[in-house]
Amino acid sequence: MGFFSSSPTGPPAPKISTDGAPIAPDRSQRAMCWEARDAYFACLDKNNIVDSIGEKDKAGKACSAEGKGFEANCASSWVTYFKKRRVMEYQRNKTLEKLKAEGAQEMPGQIGPPGPGQRP
Amino acid sequence: MFIDSIISPQLRLLDSFSTTAPYTMSKPILPSRTLLSSLSQNLRASKPSIKPQFFSAKCQQLSTRANSRMVEPARCLREANAARIGGRNWGAAQKRGYKTVQEQRSRYRSGPFSALAGLLFLSSGAALIFYFRYEKSRMERKRISEAAKGVGRPKVGGPFTLLDQDAKPFSDEQMKGRYSLVYFGFSHCPDICPEELDKMAVMIDLVNASPVMSNLSSENPEAKKILPLFITCDPARDTPAVLKEYLSEFHKDIIGLTGTWEQIKDICKKYRVYFSTPENVKKGQDYLVDHSIYFYLMDPEGDFVEAIGRQHSPEVAAQVILGHVGDWKR
Repeated sequence: MGFFSSSPTGPPAPKISTDGAPIAPDRSQRAMCWEARDAYFACLDKNNIVDSIGEKDKAGKACSAEGKGFEANCASSWVTYFKKRRVMEYQRNKTLEKLKAEGAQEMPGQIGPPGPGQRP
Repeated sequence: MFIDSIISPQLRLLDSFSTTAPYTMSKPILPSRTLLSSLSQNLRASKPSIKPQFFSAKCQQLSTRANSRMVEPARCLREANAARIGGRNWGAAQKRGYKTVQEQRSRYRSGPFSALAGLLFLSSGAALIFYFRYEKSRMERKRISEAAKGVGRPKVGGPFTLLDQDAKPFSDEQMKGRYSLVYFGFSHCPDICPEELDKMAVMIDLVNASPVMSNLSSENPEAKKILPLFITCDPARDTPAVLKEYLSEFHKDIIGLTGTWEQIKDICKKYRVYFSTPENVKKGQDYLVDHSIYFYLMDPEGDFVEAIGRQHSPEVAAQVILGHVGDWKR
């Protein structure tokens, strides 16, 4: 946790490539980001928060440490993307459940992108 | 002529046997009723009409010379009839060596059919059926390969010139001669692109390890490996050096392509890829790019074959690719 709280404003500045552009996060940086994201979302699940952008205050109070870790390990665009995707997936699952309850038949194949951490 | 047309075949036949036979045959014959009827059938079937050229030259002479006497042309006609009938039926029968009347009757009953004719008929029929089936399947294969050339299918792909991860120019010409797998993405992609690129790496290894690839009849050893391309949708941040660093984590074979924003927009349009990169971004600005996520399989002539979506596992995707590769030039 000490690592996460050390730089709450964002991940360490990216390395600059030989032609001057910032290098994208590598495999280990991505893994760290995903790990921090999963920890944050687990906390949100515990506190019954789906939309961490809409319920910013509630999420900030309940999962402040995890939120900081999330932001420290992921670029801000990624943080927003994952938060929005969580809401989208929640709504998608709710719709699917509703459809199933109404007697809709499930077709083979996957609908939309898989959930965080889920491997296709 | 006149007399001939009013004499029915049967009458003429009876005529020839009862009265004129002694003139033509060496010994008189009394034919049986059945032989008569079979002969008359044959005669009827063979369009009985006597034209002047069938008369013998002698008869024609006679008829012209003795025109006033009606008997002469009539007798001459009978003679001609008898000669025809005798020559056709009896002469032929004797030449073919029929021994009995029964044998001849059976010959007439069966008509022109024989074991040899039947065999010829069946073998030529079988040959025709075989030929038509072969032609049909050939046309079917041709139709499918023509369909893949862009008729009735979306025309995906086209010429381009971009820079690879070593900042060397790379054009669509370098895609020719081998199957290629094209993917659009960007290096700052949060989760989908890395997952897809990991899948792509597995697909490349599976495809290249397959005997289908090594059996390809090409002199170029490079053609026996699939050409994986990663084209960035985010040219502002994905410079050749960034792509080189990024792609080295996935597979050594993947070629990363970048260019100016206009070049990328052009190739995305050609591949029907949707993407939304902000055109004017400030340096160091953090943003995401929305884009379509498909693998495009392109054939050695640079034509689009199939789009492979996310729903496939790398194993299934490799099977799909190998299926198409196996069809090539067959």
